[in-house]
Amino acid sequence: MRAVGHRHFVAFVVALLGIAWGAHTAFSQQPASGTQAKPAKTSSKPVIVQKITLPEYSSDPAPGPNLQTYQKDCLLCHSNRYVEMQPNFSRAVWEKDVKKMVDAYGAPISASDQQEIVEYLVSIRGPAESK
Amino acid sequence: MNRREFSVFLTSWGAYATIRGLVDAKAPFSGILPSVWATDTSTSPLLVRYPQKRELILLTDRPPQLETPLRYFDTDLTPNDVFFVRWHLSGIPTSVDTKTFRLEVTGNVSKALTLSLAELKAKFTPVSVVALCQCAGNARSLFEPRVPGGQWGFGAMSNARWKGVRLRDLLNAAGVKPGSIQVGFRGLDTPPLPQTPRFEKSLPLESALDGEVIVAYEMNGAPLPMLNGFPLRLVVPSWYGTYWVKSLSAITVLDKPLKTFWMDTAYRIPDNSGAEETPQSLSPKTVPITKMSVHSIFVKPTPGEQIKANQAYRLQGVANDGGSGIRKVEVSTNDGNSWVEASLGTDLGKYSWRLWSVNWAPPATGNYRLLVRAVNHDNQQQVVSQWNRSGYQRDVIEHVDIEVI
Repeated sequence: MRAVGHRHFVAFVVALLGIAWGAHTAFSQQPASGTQAKPAKTSSKPVIVQKITLPEYSSDPAPGPNLQTYQKDCLLCHSNRYVEMQPNFSRAVWEKDVKKMVDAYGAPISASDQQEIVEYLVSIRGPAESK
Repeated sequence: MNRREFSVFLTSWGAYATIRGLVDAKAPFSGILPSVWATDTSTSPLLVRYPQKRELILLTDRPPQLETPLRYFDTDLTPNDVFFVRWHLSGIPTSVDTKTFRLEVTGNVSKALTLSLAELKAKFTPVSVVALCQCAGNARSLFEPRVPGGQWGFGAMSNARWKGVRLRDLLNAAGVKPGSIQVGFRGLDTPPLPQTPRFEKSLPLESALDGEVIVAYEMNGAPLPMLNGFPLRLVVPSWYGTYWVKSLSAITVLDKPLKTFWMDTAYRIPDNSGAEETPQSLSPKTVPITKMSVHSIFVKPTPGEQIKANQAYRLQGVANDGGSGIRKVEVSTNDGNSWVEASLGTDLGKYSWRLWSVNWAPPATGNYRLLVRAVNHDNQQQVVSQWNRSGYQRDVIEHVDIEVI
């Protein structure tokens, strides 16, 4: 009786390990995966490794004039959501913003491309009367 | 299905698919978002899941900027998995091996240090502090006229207990040489282009040595989530989050001011106590933003919420200031004609936010505008209106419009 109980216990532990392994596998495959506090195998001191995989939440730019210029020059450094989240602004604000990308962040955008991008931004997030 | 329901559906489905282990990293989300959303200016938030996080409000995806939904602001400490996220440059660290990670303390010092995480923990006295981390541009979307930048609601802040070592102890171990005036900080994040300025910040030497600034390796008793700056984050209690450099890897003692876009152009406010100016009359002089303003917000009710007449309702929110601690929070249910003092939650120290609540039984049906204002121990208060070109340091008396039925 006692021996049977023991065998059952072993089977139970094995099953638990199996569940834990399965859970770990699922966890490491999830899109928003993150791991932390993995104990080191080679050292007595805990070595923490963290690794995440960034999920994909990009958005499609709104249609408008010079869309391709916008995609080529702006989305090189940041995603479309940077623009998408903005409210409507005047042409002057957008001109200043595009200039900031070039002057402050070093965006390699030609003068003519800058003008085209301003047109695009005004068309999608410009003052109401110019839309 | 409205947009919010759709996002809930999306994430629920994502979670289901995840459990089944059937999906790869990108498949469930790419291309599924209707392009009509690109021009949707409605305010309903898009909730998303990121690693080590519950659903947060997506502002941007590259780099990630995630806002904490206000409903989580009902506990003294914000759980790590809902703590807001804000990165500046697309090259964010997604993996750190603490076997190889080193923190360097260099520059104008007598003995440069190179410390592993284990050495940092072993060689320096651990300290802990509860401190609010708040983005300088928190609530930028409420500025009128609107200003460009991250269009945050009130959720670009979170409160945590930080454990780490004093920056002062590190600097003393390295030996700050005479003539030093600032200390610069850099993390593992990298810019998308070589010519883009790396994200770097500096503190005056005096602040760096004040014993309050810490290099934190734990947040609420756990290692920092990757998106909040694992393995080390600079914690500058009472100062805005811009100084709280994430994935901190280099501390440099400087004998001249750090010259960088991030100090000289960005994160600057009008040179006056309220950070105020007008679009017609911009302040000719700006200075780097530093301490947080006094501010309080509603968590409950939420805008447009319907609550019942003659039944007790618990108005709730949070209040914070720039390091003296909240003394009093007051609420008005009659558009400012009279004010009721709120009960304050646990006092977790002068750098923590403070939960507040007021029990209110609306006397009659109709539309109400509720107001909230706070005062700190230095008698600083919120103001009726405020504007600046960058949408920083908001300290406006906030309101919420509701309907009593």
